[in-house]
Amino acid sequence: MKKYALYPGCVMPTEQYALEMSIREVLPLFDIELVDIKGFSCCGEPLKSVNQMLTLTLSARNLAIAEKEGLDVLTPCPICHLALSECKRILDTDPAMNERVNKFLQDEGLKYTGQANIVQTVDLLHNVIGIDKIKEKVKKPLKDLKVATHYGCHLFRPSEIGRPVDSENPQEMENILKAIGAKPIDYPEKIDCCGGLLTANLPESALTKTGQKLQKVQEKGFDVFIDVCPWCHRQYDAKQTKAGETVAAKLEVPVLYLSQLLGLSFGISKDKLGLDLNLSPVDKLNLGDK
Amino acid sequence: MSITDLTSMGEPQTELQREINERLCKLQDEISDYCYQCAKCTSGCEAHKLLELEPHKIVALLKRGLIDEMVNSDVIWTCMSCFKCRERCPQKVAPVEILFALKNLAVASGKQIPGNYTAMLQSVLSIGLLQDVKSVTTRDNKTKSRSDLGLPEISKPTDPAKFQTMLSKIAVEKV
Amino acid sequence: MSNKIGVFVCHCGINIASSVDVKKLTEYAKTIDGVVVSKDYKYMCSDVGANIIKDSIKKHKLDGVVVACCSPRMHEHTFRGVVEAGGVNAFNLEIANIREQCSWAHDNKERSTKKAKALVRGAVAKAKLLEPLETSKINVTPEALVIGGGISGIQAALDLAEEGHKVYLVERNPSIGGRMAQLDKTFPTLDCSSCILTPKMMEVANHPNVELLTYSEVVGVEGSIGNYTVKIKKKARYVDMDKCTGCGDCIAACRLKDRIPSEFDEGMGKRSAIYMPFPQAIPLKCTVDAENCLMLTRGKCGTEPLCVEACEASAIDFKQKDEEIEVNVGAIVVATGYDLLDPASLYEYGYAQSDDVITSLQMERLISSSGPTVGEILRPSNGEKPKSITYILCVGSRDETQCTWCCRIGCMSALKHVYLLKEKLGDDVEINVCYTDIRSFGKGYEEFYRKIRGMKTNFFRGRPSEVRNVGDHLTIDIFDTTTNKLFEINTDLVVLVPALVPRVDAADFARLLRISQSPDGFLLEAHPKLRPIDTFTGGIFITGCCQGPKDIQDSVAQASGAAARAANILSKKELEAEPLISCVDEDLCSGCSTCISVCAYNAIELVKEDDKSHAKVNEALCMGCGACVASCPSGAMQQRGYKDKQLSPMIEESL
Repeated sequence: MKKYALYPGCVMPTEQYALEMSIREVLPLFDIELVDIKGFSCCGEPLKSVNQMLTLTLSARNLAIAEKEGLDVLTPCPICHLALSECKRILDTDPAMNERVNKFLQDEGLKYTGQANIVQTVDLLHNVIGIDKIKEKVKKPLKDLKVATHYGCHLFRPSEIGRPVDSENPQEMENILKAIGAKPIDYPEKIDCCGGLLTANLPESALTKTGQKLQKVQEKGFDVFIDVCPWCHRQYDAKQTKAGETVAAKLEVPVLYLSQLLGLSFGISKDKLGLDLNLSPVDKLNLGDK
Repeated sequence: MSITDLTSMGEPQTELQREINERLCKLQDEISDYCYQCAKCTSGCEAHKLLELEPHKIVALLKRGLIDEMVNSDVIWTCMSCFKCRERCPQKVAPVEILFALKNLAVASGKQIPGNYTAMLQSVLSIGLLQDVKSVTTRDNKTKSRSDLGLPEISKPTDPAKFQTMLSKIAVEKV
Repeated sequence: MSNKIGVFVCHCGINIASSVDVKKLTEYAKTIDGVVVSKDYKYMCSDVGANIIKDSIKKHKLDGVVVACCSPRMHEHTFRGVVEAGGVNAFNLEIANIREQCSWAHDNKERSTKKAKALVRGAVAKAKLLEPLETSKINVTPEALVIGGGISGIQAALDLAEEGHKVYLVERNPSIGGRMAQLDKTFPTLDCSSCILTPKMMEVANHPNVELLTYSEVVGVEGSIGNYTVKIKKKARYVDMDKCTGCGDCIAACRLKDRIPSEFDEGMGKRSAIYMPFPQAIPLKCTVDAENCLMLTRGKCGTEPLCVEACEASAIDFKQKDEEIEVNVGAIVVATGYDLLDPASLYEYGYAQSDDVITSLQMERLISSSGPTVGEILRPSNGEKPKSITYILCVGSRDETQCTWCCRIGCMSALKHVYLLKEKLGDDVEINVCYTDIRSFGKGYEEFYRKIRGMKTNFFRGRPSEVRNVGDHLTIDIFDTTTNKLFEINTDLVVLVPALVPRVDAADFARLLRISQSPDGFLLEAHPKLRPIDTFTGGIFITGCCQGPKDIQDSVAQASGAAARAANILSKKELEAEPLISCVDEDLCSGCSTCISVCAYNAIELVKEDDKSHAKVNEALCMGCGACVASCPSGAMQQRGYKDKQLSPMIEESL
């Protein structure tokens, strides 16, 4: 049994429920216990443009909260993962900054000590759980489903601080998908950005980025678009129609979280995986129980 | 003796430039002086085609100390933080981080924060999260809440008052 | 042991005198026990200074000399000569470095002078205990070894052979010629590369003083300057060199014809398992590729190997074995050349994702009329003529995450390609060049660049972020800083000009020869400005791209330089060996062999005498590095001129 503090971030627990549901269904199958802790807050990364000190402190306090329980952190959101990882790197290597930030944390009686390790769902599945264990759980292989993967920029960049997957040619999701019978295919736009963070001040432009990528995916005849990040998914799934409008295209691409597709291949029911919450045409796929 | 940019009549702001460079060096081990303007960053910039952001130009202006011009511009807010520039730069310069520094400077100097950032900030101040729990609509138009879906209560700061005290202290901090 | 020491203090102009009170120092020296005379002069290394020393030796019957001056690395050698001319053994000299280690390091005159006094005190204490030493003579083997048969190695071998020395020219490939043989034309003159190379190849192969050892590798180097013993492995070709006529019938008959990627063609073409690297190969003999040949890897090739059947001269011999030989040489010239950075390490440029993304050397093979496409420029993906060719320069060069250095030849070779491609394809083809800086520094290079600027080429000043394979062609976004616009280039064929890197096995090779590498991995020169061909190991010289990226003319010039440096040694009957080497006190030595394990020059051996083992130093091999002395637990190993009993009083007196 491996225990992780589940650090949910902001978007998943308040809006992207399907991600949370599917993770809570799939990970325990591999003896992973997700521990819910009270007291978490935003990681601060979307506010880095406003005040980076805020970001560092918010990330540090969340790590400190997990450390108090003696747990490593699993964060499903790549943006949170970057924020927490960069915070850890800076505070572990810069004693002056460490002192400054810890001073702020004193108000809440917290202290960052650098004990907690940080993982995201993809490296948890690929490196900790392992492909063989994933293969074992497959009850309904996906019969060569043509998959376009979308990792999300923050999962693989900037590589110089260490990210869970390679920054130019990540293959972890592909390996996982092959293990469940799917057929992931690389495409030139694979590591293009969804534009999600631009939603804060330039929502139209963000949608244009989303639409441009999805258009290419649709043109290439993929069956499904698989992502892991709630910000990305919000763009590609929830806002797919609007994104299509901004690029003058009719987009009808099924978009699923990796954990949802995994769950379907393991024979978990659609309701439990939150499939009805996906706004993109996932019914086209004809997967899982009716 | 003096260097003046004749288009803006601006002179290099060496103090501000030094401050920004120190921050970049401290946080990212990045030294923008080493940029040789190959423009690989701009060639691949996700925000360039759409929004005309030129990361290499941002670095060049920083090297010249023409900070105000950038702080007062709208273009610095077009960066989508994809980190491709930092990843691919052959001289380990990170235009994305320079942009964060410039944006922080704009906010600190009282410029109006564009778009939704203020709302996100307010939300974090009051409940610790960028937004509050929402009810969502399913594909077949039903409304579901978090509890409808069987999910546990969400995690928020346990002592909002202490949390806010901490945040208000940070508000005036420079990196 | 010396009883009458003379101290000579140099002002070195104001280098020493401005920070050290030289007059006070000279006066002080007179008061040190054992010093009978103390003089100072502005430039002790000059003729006048030398005479002061020699006269003092005579007048005061000195038997030991201390010169307080600059670093011994500068003038110790000079002063040894002066002292010897004056009648005192050259090794009864001690230098007190009051410049680099005193006047140049401090600016408080009082404290500098106090320190200088301490240094002189220590030097005198040591000088009193120095022993006269004789330089031993090393016989010089007047033969040379050149490792590497590219243009640089060939030139060095030719120069040495002409000087009258026997030269072993070792080349690991089946033919000499190196990179230059792979080129079509050379910049800036657009000479046909083979046409200017093959005469030199023939000259060196036919020279009576040159023994050509192709398909061979150096596997062991022992000895030192003047006397190197080198083990060379002659790899089995499985072809009898005396019988083979180079007719090529075996190549055409081979069962694996056109199946194996050709190294010479950089993978753009295929060859047989028995092959000749290129038509003008020297020696013009076939070689069997032991890693692919069916007979050698599986023990059988059909019912009978087709090459054997086809060979009228019966030259193929599968029973051949590698052979190891040993040669003795006085000097070694290293000319092992370079490799190209594998552009797959910059994944974003698509080298691994499209056949139509190639390196400049691969394009060179396409352009060459003896290449896999007989000089026709065809897209590797579909064999069609490209309508647009795009060059990306500086791929992995000047890059802190890859190779930090400039490859020096990338710009010029790309410009050369533009010329040749325009010549072949006319204005039908669009040629784009994406550059960061155009470095056209050499003689005639700028003129060449100007010519290309006038040839309707699209120059883009900028570096693309990525190359995208969109199925039937490639697309590149590039921001052009000259117009401040983003351009989308849709192109058929992308040529990457990658960084030049040291050979893959440079580290192992350097260790074999006991030479060093610079931080970039290329072989290290003794001084970048004044000794760019010497290494720190006596008798070993480096030339060509193994020392750092450079073009053909610099490689040739350096080669002649290396030959001259080597000839310097080889033309002498004997060399003087520095006697400041280690020696063993056999009574104290317990035979623990710690010294043997740390000696980088294999200069110590364990000998048994009268039932007792002790270490013995081979004086010809010892380089006087002192590692053994430092490692010796009993103090039995000492270094002449730096013995513990000489150094201890020096330290005591200084403090």
